[in-house]
Amino acid sequence: MLIELKGIHKTYDNGQPLHVLKGIDLSIDKGEFVSIMGASGSGKSTLLNILGILDNYDEGEYHIDGKLIKNLSEKEAAHYRNQMIGFVFQSFNLINFKTAIENVELPLFYQGVNRKERHDLAMHYLERFGLADWASHYPNEMSGGQKQRVAIARALITQPRILLADEPTGALDSKTSVEVMDLLTQLNREEKVTIIVVTHESGVANCTDKIIHIKDGIIGETTLNTEHHASVFGSNTIMK
Amino acid sequence: MKDLFIEIWESLKRNKLRTSLTGFAVAWGIFMLIVLLGAGNGLMNAFMNNGRDFASNTMMIFGGYTTMPYDGLEQGRNIDLNDKDIELTESHLFADHIDDVTANIGQGPFYMVWKNKKVSVSLSGCYPKIAEMDKINLIEGRFIDNIDMEQRRKTAVIASSHAKQLLNGGTDYSYFIGKHLKINNTLYQIVGIYKSQDNMRNNDVYVPFTTMQMLTNQLNYEDHILFTFHGLNTEQENNEFEKQYKAVLNKSHRADPDDEGAIWIWNRFKQNMQMNKGTSILHKALWIIGILTLLGGIVGVSNIMLITVKERTHEFGIRKAIGATPASIMKLIVAESVTITALFGYIGMILGLVACEIMDATVGKSSLEMFGEKFSVFVDPTVGLDVAFGVTLVLIIAGTIAGLSPALKAARIRPIEALRNE
Repeated sequence: MLIELKGIHKTYDNGQPLHVLKGIDLSIDKGEFVSIMGASGSGKSTLLNILGILDNYDEGEYHIDGKLIKNLSEKEAAHYRNQMIGFVFQSFNLINFKTAIENVELPLFYQGVNRKERHDLAMHYLERFGLADWASHYPNEMSGGQKQRVAIARALITQPRILLADEPTGALDSKTSVEVMDLLTQLNREEKVTIIVVTHESGVANCTDKIIHIKDGIIGETTLNTEHHASVFGSNTIMK
Repeated sequence: MKDLFIEIWESLKRNKLRTSLTGFAVAWGIFMLIVLLGAGNGLMNAFMNNGRDFASNTMMIFGGYTTMPYDGLEQGRNIDLNDKDIELTESHLFADHIDDVTANIGQGPFYMVWKNKKVSVSLSGCYPKIAEMDKINLIEGRFIDNIDMEQRRKTAVIASSHAKQLLNGGTDYSYFIGKHLKINNTLYQIVGIYKSQDNMRNNDVYVPFTTMQMLTNQLNYEDHILFTFHGLNTEQENNEFEKQYKAVLNKSHRADPDDEGAIWIWNRFKQNMQMNKGTSILHKALWIIGILTLLGGIVGVSNIMLITVKERTHEFGIRKAIGATPASIMKLIVAESVTITALFGYIGMILGLVACEIMDATVGKSSLEMFGEKFSVFVDPTVGLDVAFGVTLVLIIAGTIAGLSPALKAARIRPIEALRNE
């Protein structure tokens, strides 16, 4: 198993203790295309933070590719995030004063890759996503779909074990949303990228092969969705 | 490194006005520091300049009054130096430290008369060695020599200012060489002319010491003894030597060996040492004032860096999410802070150096007229390369200190910030 969570508990203590995750057990295999669905307050954001090594957990064990991710120093956590995880965010989170290519290069900069090499590699990824002409444009000169493709290029450039997408279509219109989900599907099919999408939109979840429902801090039902009929609004649409 | 500077440059470019306003305070601080140090140097140089023309390792010995009763004699007795004191000074007793010994008798003021012109002068009966010890700069003829001394000749060396006055402002000083001029009803042959000093020191007419003794009918009398010495490097060594020296001379005058008043010593070396201590304190004080002025600028930089960190919280969150370590974020902020401080600090330094040059060209070239003597108040008010290095060091340290607290704040930003939607 690529990802193994066993009995993960997380409590926030802001004056009053808030038990957010109440024993999460979850396994995701290499090459899977999974969505985690839940309403707001269900604990899915907290789970995403833990999966992305952005936050610590109190109890249990979390393994990525056999490595135990627990009680890491900030430096180690940064290192693992850089090496193993690619993030795609709802609001793209591109750095506004950097051009598209500079944004894509950034993870390699933190790996200490030299200028030329990372520039070439970033260009290669931009070309793949049809953004070669936009390489020297700033994020505010691009459309939402383009920005999200730049973000996906940035997430993939380090060849991470997992691509974590947090509401990847949340800021996009329905047509662009379909495009982005198609791109993720394509990456999963053709390059066997392991993708975990966190969403509350059933249309988005329907694009994935497995839907994990989370409710009140525990995993509810897990639906196999290879037929892609899970959306209540019908297949191949994303309801906005 | 290059990447770091590109990052910093981009960040500074985004906040031009804010950065320049903050930088102004830093530039101002450094400007003040440089100008203060320059002005301080100017004052100190002028001070040194006005008293520069002495060999510094000399002591002057004067007779004083006894302050203790001794050997049946009461206190308050006047002590006159005599030839025996010279012999003692030259003797093996002090051979370890004392080099050249001379004595001097001063008389005057008298009129020096030539044709129908006259000028007021003081006579100084001296040894030939004094030319070297007082660094007398001869421009015509020769100085008093040993033959003058032996034969008690009536020869004299006058200052260029005397010659100038007698010539109604003319400069053909050599005219006087070999001429006889009357001073205090005695005719002296002028053998040399020295360059007069543009300061408060009297420009004496030098005549042979022995001649002076003869003419004043005080064959055994010395006004003061002057000698050069070596090997006394600390204030304590000097004090001990002075004590021993006084004890020996006191004894020869039948005064208590511990009597502090019988013999007076003016130690130029010790005085210089004290003066150096004074200038070094002044120097330190100027640095402290300058750095305190700079402190205002540093607080400004620190403040602006805190705002920067606050504004870039989301960005730093993103950077951390994609793998930036806390150290790399800290480096970014500290480097930016050092860059702002150094950049504007150097602008301030250059302006300060220009201001020093302007001071040098204006006030530095002027001098005060006092009692007919020129007296400079400001000489070369500039700073050296060592100050530029010192300032560089101060700027880097200051920039680091200014950036440190904002950088720590930035390093503590949690990567979850990246997930927060703005």
